[in-house]
Amino acid sequence: MNQDKTIRSFFACNAFLVVLSLLLIMLFLFREGVPFFAKYHDSRSLYRSAGLEFVEHLRDAERRHEQLCGKLVQLRSKLAAALSGSPNARERLTAFDAFDNAFSEAADPLRDLAERLSSQSLATRAAVASATVSGRANAPAGTSAATWARAALPEVRNILAALAAQRAHLVEMRPRGLSAETDAALNAFAHAVEQDRTALAETAAAMAAWDPSAPVSAFSTAAAFFFGGEWRTASFWQDYYGILPLFSGSLLVCAVALSLAVPIGVAAAVHISQVAGRRERSLVKPAIEFIAATPSVVLGFFGISVLGGTLRDISHSPWLSWVPGCPFSERLNALTAGCLLALVATPTIFTLAEDALGNVSESCKDASLALGASRLQTIVRVVIPSALPGIVSACLLGFGRVIGETMIVLLCAGNRVAIPDFSVGAGVITQPVHTMTGIIAQEMGEVAHGGIHYRALFLVGAVLFCLTMLINLIVQHVTRGRVSPVH
Amino acid sequence: MENGSQNDTGNPFAATNIRGATTEKAVFVLLRTVTLLLLFCGFAVIGRVAIKGTGTVLDAFERTDTFPWFTNTFLTRTPETLHVFKEDGQMRTLGDSAFRTHQKAREEDARVRGETPTPLVVVESHAHAAGGILPCLAGSALLTGGSMLIALLLGVSCAIYLSEYAGNGRFVRLVRLSILNLAGVPSIVFGLFGFSLFVTFFGWNVSLLAGWCTLALMALPAVITASEEALRAVPTSWREGGLALGATHWQVIQKNVLPRATPGLLTAAILGVARVAGETAPIMFTAAYVVRNELPWEAGSLREFVFQGVMALPYHIYVISAKVPQNEFTEKTQYGTALVYLVFVMLFAAAAVISRNRLRPHRG
Repeated sequence: MNQDKTIRSFFACNAFLVVLSLLLIMLFLFREGVPFFAKYHDSRSLYRSAGLEFVEHLRDAERRHEQLCGKLVQLRSKLAAALSGSPNARERLTAFDAFDNAFSEAADPLRDLAERLSSQSLATRAAVASATVSGRANAPAGTSAATWARAALPEVRNILAALAAQRAHLVEMRPRGLSAETDAALNAFAHAVEQDRTALAETAAAMAAWDPSAPVSAFSTAAAFFFGGEWRTASFWQDYYGILPLFSGSLLVCAVALSLAVPIGVAAAVHISQVAGRRERSLVKPAIEFIAATPSVVLGFFGISVLGGTLRDISHSPWLSWVPGCPFSERLNALTAGCLLALVATPTIFTLAEDALGNVSESCKDASLALGASRLQTIVRVVIPSALPGIVSACLLGFGRVIGETMIVLLCAGNRVAIPDFSVGAGVITQPVHTMTGIIAQEMGEVAHGGIHYRALFLVGAVLFCLTMLINLIVQHVTRGRVSPVH
Repeated sequence: MENGSQNDTGNPFAATNIRGATTEKAVFVLLRTVTLLLLFCGFAVIGRVAIKGTGTVLDAFERTDTFPWFTNTFLTRTPETLHVFKEDGQMRTLGDSAFRTHQKAREEDARVRGETPTPLVVVESHAHAAGGILPCLAGSALLTGGSMLIALLLGVSCAIYLSEYAGNGRFVRLVRLSILNLAGVPSIVFGLFGFSLFVTFFGWNVSLLAGWCTLALMALPAVITASEEALRAVPTSWREGGLALGATHWQVIQKNVLPRATPGLLTAAILGVARVAGETAPIMFTAAYVVRNELPWEAGSLREFVFQGVMALPYHIYVISAKVPQNEFTEKTQYGTALVYLVFVMLFAAAAVISRNRLRPHRG
């Protein structure tokens, strides 16, 4: 009997291995990921104490000015196109160009100042960093950010005020009567400049209120990761690790994929389990399972070599110009990735939903038919409602499958790290995006082991893990453990 | 229900004109169209790769002087750089080694004729776009086989515990919950985990062993679930018969349950392979190299063999489709590799689908 017990505990140990491996995954993801916060906190403290934060305000003001200039450039090209062929085109364009140039040059002092302060703050950062490395407590005298920032403050104020005044003056003297459209656009432009004037005042106030010794709160560091809108690494200025661009990219791709996969998957499941004959079912079910086995890297390759170009060409056809987002110029974008991911998610949704529909008891259906309901009525009113928990969890598991998919998004999503511009409406799906899984796969191979970037990637992995775990738990809750992602 | 239709013409009681019959018909047609659309899309991808890739594989057949009198250079060579060059005003393409021989032959030729040799002008070069994929194929086979062995050992033992020993206690529920959650973990997270635990914490570096363990963990849920199903399918009477004859619990499992469940366990193994063979993300940081010219079995010792990184087909496809531009010169190898990989995976998938359908009685 003793031997039997030993054997039993051997198998029990094996079973425990599964629990252990799940715990280990959690442990290692967090062990590698959580120190990120401490490192990011240090990096952000340095960003503040070295005066980079101070200069960032100025650089922001400069960036906003460049955006305004960009608007003028667009206007000019529109105007040139509209005026081509008209007799006094050249004079009108000259008038516009003079305005354009004057507006751009108004910010020259600002540019110089931003440039000078940038290099000063970078030098301060380097000095502080080397001081920390060599163990000295304080940075060498004369490089303290507080000193030079305070010294620069009057100049900053003057330059910003001068810029605001000069721009207001220029806008007041803007060329008028070039064309009706341009006049309207310039009026809108004047309004934008006026708005930016208050922003400039705010910039000056923020810079005056800046305090290099104020502590960076732990909460703001966590928020900078979870709600940060920028993921910029290996830059000369400051690295930002905000997960939002990746998260929104993942969600966008998932939305495209699921909006295709859910209707198709559920419709096919209804067809196969309720409508199709035995013969059709025995053919289609294995075929879909077969499709499910297509490796994602092959799908991604297909996307790069065929689908991306095809979709782009289709979008350029004239009878599609009313569709939002068409025509688009990027071959690899959220749409391409989403279409291929739909092909991954559909079989999952199909298989699980078909299972759920098939488990609806025959007697329910028979009762409905006996009461005179048609087959369609029975399906819509009886079968689908009673299989709904199963169908919902099928869709959730499809979502989990898609958000964890790596190779397709890595190859086909375009890999541009930026929050998609949702202001363009549904056309947003034709923009290139980057995803959480994609960024791990792309950057993991080239980061320094144990560095802040490495830890950030593990933290992204941990977020992904928690997300899929959550989906799984919801599914377990909805179906009381009847549906499993293993099938 | 499946075969019955209410308005069979032979039925005198059938309603002749049910309200909404047209709608019903239209909806059913729509449902079937959607199903067919899904099938079409899936097979369009497979078909495209198959059609384009078959040419590459077929073109690579060559005659040899020894048994079996033919060879396929695409499957038996290592990847090479492809050179596109101009010769006598014509564009030609050659793999790196063939290009060197060709260049030497030309120089020799020119020297014999007493002319100064004109060097060949290489227009463009593409990495991995010539030669074959033998190291990748070998690496993938090794990775899949090894990980399956580990997954099967662990998975079947776990399934034996769950189906033969376990009751419905807290521990068992915890194990089941873990299996479900493990199945939902994204593959890239397995890759991260394998990298942090096996590659760096255990110090195995990028190696076959690290890849095996990572992939085995990934296959575990599928293997356990399928094995448990196979074990539970063995009738209880077989166990009771053995126990009544005085056999111990282990003897019953060993002599009665396992032999009877063998086909089912085989299905479990194939299911696991099908799950593992198609994955790229877990091996990206744990086992796969971009380039490695030695073949896996050229390692000196068992230790070296286990701790070597290998090239793998899925990772190779990623590399050649992401890092090498798509054009008429590179396309051939790309599609060829994709096809070989597709066949590699689909063989297991087809085996899994067929064997499972044989095993599981059809519903309804």
